[in-house]
Amino acid sequence: MNCKLCSALFQEFLEKSLCEEVITELETHMKTCKKCRVMLRTYTLTITLSQKVDPPCCVSTDKIDRLKKILLERFFTKQSAQEPSVR
Amino acid sequence: MSKKREIQSDAELVGEIKHGSSRAMEEVVRRYSNKVYNLAYHLTRDSAAAEEIMQDVFLTVIAKVGTLTNEAYFSTWLYRVTTNAAYGFLRKEKKFSDQTPVDDIDQEVQTSYDWSDLPDDVLLSEESKEVLRKSIDTLPEAMRTVVIMKDMEGLKNEEIAEALSISVPAVKSRLHRGRLILRELLSGYFSRKYTDSSGEDE
Repeated sequence: MNCKLCSALFQEFLEKSLCEEVITELETHMKTCKKCRVMLRTYTLTITLSQKVDPPCCVSTDKIDRLKKILLERFFTKQSAQEPSVR
Repeated sequence: MSKKREIQSDAELVGEIKHGSSRAMEEVVRRYSNKVYNLAYHLTRDSAAAEEIMQDVFLTVIAKVGTLTNEAYFSTWLYRVTTNAAYGFLRKEKKFSDQTPVDDIDQEVQTSYDWSDLPDDVLLSEESKEVLRKSIDTLPEAMRTVVIMKDMEGLKNEEIAEALSISVPAVKSRLHRGRLILRELLSGYFSRKYTDSSGEDE
């Protein structure tokens, strides 16, 4: 295995979707290749940091209530618009 | 043991909305408003736009839920509507750019600086986060969207593929290339900041 193929497999490796044979090959390559070891560590860390860069924010209760109000109005308007067609 | 109220599936809720249940609509809003808002916010980086998109998305649900043939795909449909609305906003604001063909991005990486053992307070400093945010924003739109949906919003590859109408391999490819670019940009930043500065550390 060369470095290019090794790095191309990082994603599958982290998702644990590689077969045993390929994992062994990849690990064997990384034992002797510092560049790929560093790359896998920093690739993994890049994902971790991306997950933490902007923690999910919550919409305020006020905004949700306002949204629900608008939606319910629209919902009932739609319902009543449909009613005449009901035979 | 008293039986608590069972959690309804999305498909059940959608079925009830189709039959006019406002309670089901409220439950969908409770379940998805934050997810829709966060996805819209991360794609647009604009809180006012994200709120507007959230409202439009749920209005679309009311208007078009009847056209949804497979109710089990409700969440991916919702993400698709959200993504399209965010793209619409970015186009209007002329912030949408996808001139760089994804396939033209070179995957070959050069930087071998190991920043993985930097302390957490450095990795997670506001400055580092800002660098990463800006780096994400520089990705070609097709990659940026996938990186945001996967790594920031935690969606599954299949959900992203469905929402963006692309194949799962295409999702994986864009994601991997996007991550490689981000890794490279972060490596450059940490390398400049922690290896060449004053030499104090050496």
